[in-house]
Amino acid sequence: MSKHLKFLTALAFGVAAAGLVAAGPASAKVEGDTIIIGSAISFTGKYSTNGIHASNGYNLGVKRVNEMGGVMVGGKAYKLKIKYYDDESTPLRTAQLAERLIKQDGIKFILGPYSSATTKAMAPITEKYKIPMVESEGASRSLFTQGYKYLFAVLSTSEQYLASSIALAAEIAKKNGRKPSDVRVAMAFENDPFSLDVRAGVIDDINKFGMKIVVDDKLPRDLADMSATLTKVKALKPDLLVVSGHSKGAATAARQIKELKIDVPMIAMTHCEAAKIVKLFGAATNDFLCPTQWAETLSYKGKYFGTAAEYDKLFKATYDGYKNVPYQAAQASAAVLVWKDAFERANSFDTEKLRQALSETNMKTFYGNIKFSKAGNNIAKPMVLRQIQNGKFNVVAPSKWASHKVNWPRKVPGM
Amino acid sequence: MNTRLRRTLPYAGLLIAGIAAPFLFPDYTFQFTVLWVMILFALTWDILGGQMGYNSLGNIAFFGVGMYICAVVQIGLYYDVAQYTASYGAVKVEFTAEQYFTGLAVGLIAAGLGAMVFSVILGWVVFGLRGPYFAIGTLGVALSAGELTGAWDYVGGGGGIALPIYPGEPDDRSLFFYALCFVLAMILFFLLRWIYLGRFGLAANAIRDDEEKAEGMGIHTMRYKTVGWAIAAFFLGISGALFGNMIGFIEPLEVAFPTVTFGLFMVVMCLLGGRGTLWGPVIGATLFHTFKEVTWTYLLGWQWVALGALIVVSVVFFQQGIVGWVKEKWPEKFGIAVDDRALAETEPDLDEAPSQRLRRQTEAAQ
Repeated sequence: MSKHLKFLTALAFGVAAAGLVAAGPASAKVEGDTIIIGSAISFTGKYSTNGIHASNGYNLGVKRVNEMGGVMVGGKAYKLKIKYYDDESTPLRTAQLAERLIKQDGIKFILGPYSSATTKAMAPITEKYKIPMVESEGASRSLFTQGYKYLFAVLSTSEQYLASSIALAAEIAKKNGRKPSDVRVAMAFENDPFSLDVRAGVIDDINKFGMKIVVDDKLPRDLADMSATLTKVKALKPDLLVVSGHSKGAATAARQIKELKIDVPMIAMTHCEAAKIVKLFGAATNDFLCPTQWAETLSYKGKYFGTAAEYDKLFKATYDGYKNVPYQAAQASAAVLVWKDAFERANSFDTEKLRQALSETNMKTFYGNIKFSKAGNNIAKPMVLRQIQNGKFNVVAPSKWASHKVNWPRKVPGM
Repeated sequence: MNTRLRRTLPYAGLLIAGIAAPFLFPDYTFQFTVLWVMILFALTWDILGGQMGYNSLGNIAFFGVGMYICAVVQIGLYYDVAQYTASYGAVKVEFTAEQYFTGLAVGLIAAGLGAMVFSVILGWVVFGLRGPYFAIGTLGVALSAGELTGAWDYVGGGGGIALPIYPGEPDDRSLFFYALCFVLAMILFFLLRWIYLGRFGLAANAIRDDEEKAEGMGIHTMRYKTVGWAIAAFFLGISGALFGNMIGFIEPLEVAFPTVTFGLFMVVMCLLGGRGTLWGPVIGATLFHTFKEVTWTYLLGWQWVALGALIVVSVVFFQQGIVGWVKEKWPEKFGIAVDDRALAETEPDLDEAPSQRLRRQTEAAQ
């Protein structure tokens, strides 16, 4: 080994050490009059559409709180600020970034990533370091069975997403003089933690009604083609088609349902708003059923954004290109409000006191009521089912919140 | 400075740097741990890719296989795996410290051996392929391994597996995994140094230079290729098992078989540092990892562009990698004797007419 090589090795390690030191600016949890909340979210990769919706929601929440006087702790007004990292839509990266936020950046407060898979990677680490995380985008119910104490989620869990569509199908069958057990269901789910969890909820309900499953396909990630499944659907003529595959999956499903002229009387899928399917595929998406965590037509109201409709208006005015505000953005803003509320009630930056304050959260917001169970999920807000009726999303189930009647069978103009 | 000391210095430096790093920069332990895994990736890829000229794009398969074997062993020792995965992690399992460490130890060994067996079987199939066909063949194996695991319900399919959580303090956990990754990388590094210096290294390079000729000279090329790949698979399998436990949640496509990220990074790191050298992968991995960490922090939004630029620059301007470039620039430092006069004599002058050359050679002989 030569002197040069030795020098080179030393150089490499020196650069590495210097780089890593430089990589972590010494931003503490609170700097001057700013509270820094950390978030690793998907700016690139397959969840980037929703990751950006969510970060827009976070940013709008922060902006609003800061505009309205910031956060009062110990008689002093603090501004909120979010430190972001890109998790590339992979849990592999999330775990590394969680360590980085907590260990190097000294962050003590976390806003969750987008998707169940990444939240699953984040939660064990925040839990280990006893750092509270308020998350708004990880819905998998398995997150709330691990006994996590520092995890709080403002959204409803994923097994509730499409279950209401099964109940609705049973209801319609009864109305038409058929037995619910005669209903034949076709299912297409992306093979990822979130969609499989949605599937588990759907299967529970299908079994409850004794319905028949005629297609049960698990589709590859980053779903770009599901024509094989849809061809089967066309041949088997089920009464209900349920699809779940994040935004990409919803867009693919809507496109191919249009192209292949699938005429199932009832179609339900997740992520309709986030995938902007109405804007992309127009009338072909008529009468799709879309579960949502939140809708701008609901009568929720809170101090910070006013009503759900007012939030909707503000969001559209702030960010270009939204015909419908995705619930992913709304719940992200709600998560920021939860942090703000907890800081003020705890009146401290101590993570233990904050955890306690978070667990006692009971607030009314534009996003709905927020109250956490012992497991950390929000139990005060229902999931609602909307139908795309003439390009508009109208709430059709559950009946308590329904503003419109469900259209059945679905009608597509020109088909 | 005497030669012996000078030669041991870089190795001692590497060891000292590795031991000191987590104590000097305790907050960066996790990044250093990932760095050792990256070094391990580059070193294992180089066994075939650099020393033998077999460019595999599918080595990441061993990483994933090891990760899954370890997870199944860790859970399977104390619970029913199918039941655990069927609920997508909705069942909480408690592991005592003793169960955790026993499971991990058995899992790590099983992961290494399992990946090794897999590599031997796989090698038997793909070593008939050469050049780009070998690269594409192995890439296919890695991609399909991810998809197959995703379709296998026993191991949770696309829903993945939540692994048991380290029973101690979080800082101890970081240090624990750092130590394991560091020791593993060091064992591999010194093992490779030892075998490259011996018969294995010569045979490997002979295969790279001309496999038919090597075969003709009586080298059992298949045996060397298989052994080389088995060593790579053994270490990759264990590193996968460790990595899975560090992440805490594994699933097939993005964590266990990340073909387009880790699977390609290991190749890029070798190319950057210098393939076919012992130190190249180490230097390449260190630079690459540092570059990635820095750009992912300061160039958010442009990080992939920066990474692409780095790869283009290294491929265009440093085709032999950093170590290869240094070696060419200062060959005498590497104990390569360059005697220009001797070189001129052995190399034929192409302008010389054959009859003239014959006369010159006869004169020289007399």
